[in-house]
Amino acid sequence: MSSYVYMKLLESTPERYDRGMRILSGNTIDGLWEELAKRIAGPGIRVLDIGCGTGGVTLACARRGARVTGLDKDAGMLAVARAKAQAEGLTATWVEAGVMELEDEVAPSSFDAVVSSLAMSELLPEERAYALRQAREALVPGGRLLLADEAAPITPLGRLGWRLRRAPRAALTWILTGQRTHPMDGLAEEVRAAGFVDVEEERAPAGDFILVSARRGRDT
Amino acid sequence: MTLPGRFLAWLRDTLLRMFPHATRPGLRAIGRPGPNAPVLLSGNFTLTVDRLTRVLRGRDAWLLVADSHGINVWCAAGGGHLTHHDVIAVLRSSGIGERVEHRHLWLPQLAATGVERRIVQERTGWRVGWGPARLEDLPAFLDRGQRVKHSERLMRFPLWERMEMALLWAPATTAIAAVVLWSLLGATTAFIGAGSIAVVIFAIFAALPRLPLWGGSRWFTYAGGAVVASLLAITADMALHGPNLLHIGVLGAASTIAMLVLSLDLAGTTPLYPSTINTRGNRFDLVLNAERCTGVADCVQVCPRDVLAMDGKLRRVRIQRPDACIRCGACVVQCPEDALFFRFADGRTLSPTQIRATRMNMLGRRAVVLPAKTLSTEDQAAAEAPRRD
Repeated sequence: MSSYVYMKLLESTPERYDRGMRILSGNTIDGLWEELAKRIAGPGIRVLDIGCGTGGVTLACARRGARVTGLDKDAGMLAVARAKAQAEGLTATWVEAGVMELEDEVAPSSFDAVVSSLAMSELLPEERAYALRQAREALVPGGRLLLADEAAPITPLGRLGWRLRRAPRAALTWILTGQRTHPMDGLAEEVRAAGFVDVEEERAPAGDFILVSARRGRDT
Repeated sequence: MTLPGRFLAWLRDTLLRMFPHATRPGLRAIGRPGPNAPVLLSGNFTLTVDRLTRVLRGRDAWLLVADSHGINVWCAAGGGHLTHHDVIAVLRSSGIGERVEHRHLWLPQLAATGVERRIVQERTGWRVGWGPARLEDLPAFLDRGQRVKHSERLMRFPLWERMEMALLWAPATTAIAAVVLWSLLGATTAFIGAGSIAVVIFAIFAALPRLPLWGGSRWFTYAGGAVVASLLAITADMALHGPNLLHIGVLGAASTIAMLVLSLDLAGTTPLYPSTINTRGNRFDLVLNAERCTGVADCVQVCPRDVLAMDGKLRRVRIQRPDACIRCGACVVQCPEDALFFRFADGRTLSPTQIRATRMNMLGRRAVVLPAKTLSTEDQAAAEAPRRD
């Protein structure tokens, strides 16, 4: 029995990731992906998805005609993303690399938009600072950055209720997929510190998500 | 630490150690390391980092703690949770490059199932070497001027570690038996039955590696275990309660069921045998495509079981102890010429490409990501072709 638990923990389950995220988000994750794609993607727009996982946002952008690149360090997740793209007949470039390898994989000023969903909160602060600097490098002047992450309600009472509502779903998601997400605060500040302009933070219409949008300034 | 805190830490490091427990990744100074101190790397499993810190006391070194999701190095690397991406990440984010003048990183040898050494070198310019397989050998390795002895490449399974593993198996296996026995036959019989099972589990681990745990003969071990546990329990129960057919039958059944639970994957929790649950009973063996081998011998360095050896005359590697192979896949992942692969009993092959993409994680994603069909055709031809390109 301990052996089963052990395998369960070892086993990464990219093919169950999508299902897990739907449970954790109370079925709002597809709406979030659509929302992100609607804001940045369009025909011919070059989009980089940092930490693309199984390609939820990447493919939502591709459906709108964007030329998408998905970057993730997990080969298994990328295999699922590839299979999903193929099933829909969508073209995308998939890169197996960690966030700390952005400098090796992404040429300066080669994207019109950079998007990242539920990935920033997985990073250490120093990694996030690096990723944001590299994201800025990767963008053309005026290019757009759009980040989405889980966020807890602002009021203490709201936070408590949110924690209680979330606990069973979080446990279920962890059992099914071994995935956890960590809500984070202060993302907009970090984006500003990385040299972005027009930084705006808002609550996503669907679910407990926070959206941070920004631009790379034209003067640089 | 407070007493309850200490107790919880003890629980975490013993009975609950199959669960991941993460400590913060990043750079740690051991002693007072200077710009020429060696740089070692490990995963962020709390128990490992604690033990490393203890074993390296009195030495000066930099320790890079990579994010392995709180899982030990060997299991994390084998499950795809500790890869070259995580090594590159901590090399760059920790700022170690500014602290030392050299560019030499020592990885734990057991990370070789997941970390592709050459990719780290190409991307970061650091020279990457394989340190000893076991952390107790690190002080001697450092004192010797950072050279690994052949014996430090091989996995040992000392008695104290076997007892730790028995302590991990025994409660899980006996708890259920105890509850069932208690409800059927009362507290003393439950205690006797569960105790007998626990004694046999400790005895099996004490007797390793002299008992077979792999192949068909492993059933002798488990059958023997069931018989001994039953006899122990029945003898003790008869001494207390007199002969009772119901007691004899139930105690025998409980011992048998406990041994069946053990047989699920006792072998996989030792460093001496291949996992049985991981392959779903489909046996596979290591194959060397000798025409591709150029004798760089990365595989010999990372094998923890002394399976591979360099043939000095032919300047090629040979498989010298096929029966000792535990199918960890480290040699397959590290070979720069793709000269090693696995072949299943039914003739299908597992290529280096597939193993690098999915690690040895067979129960999980390989079955889904790589359906059986792709394991046979082009890939098989590619693995067995004399040269790549």
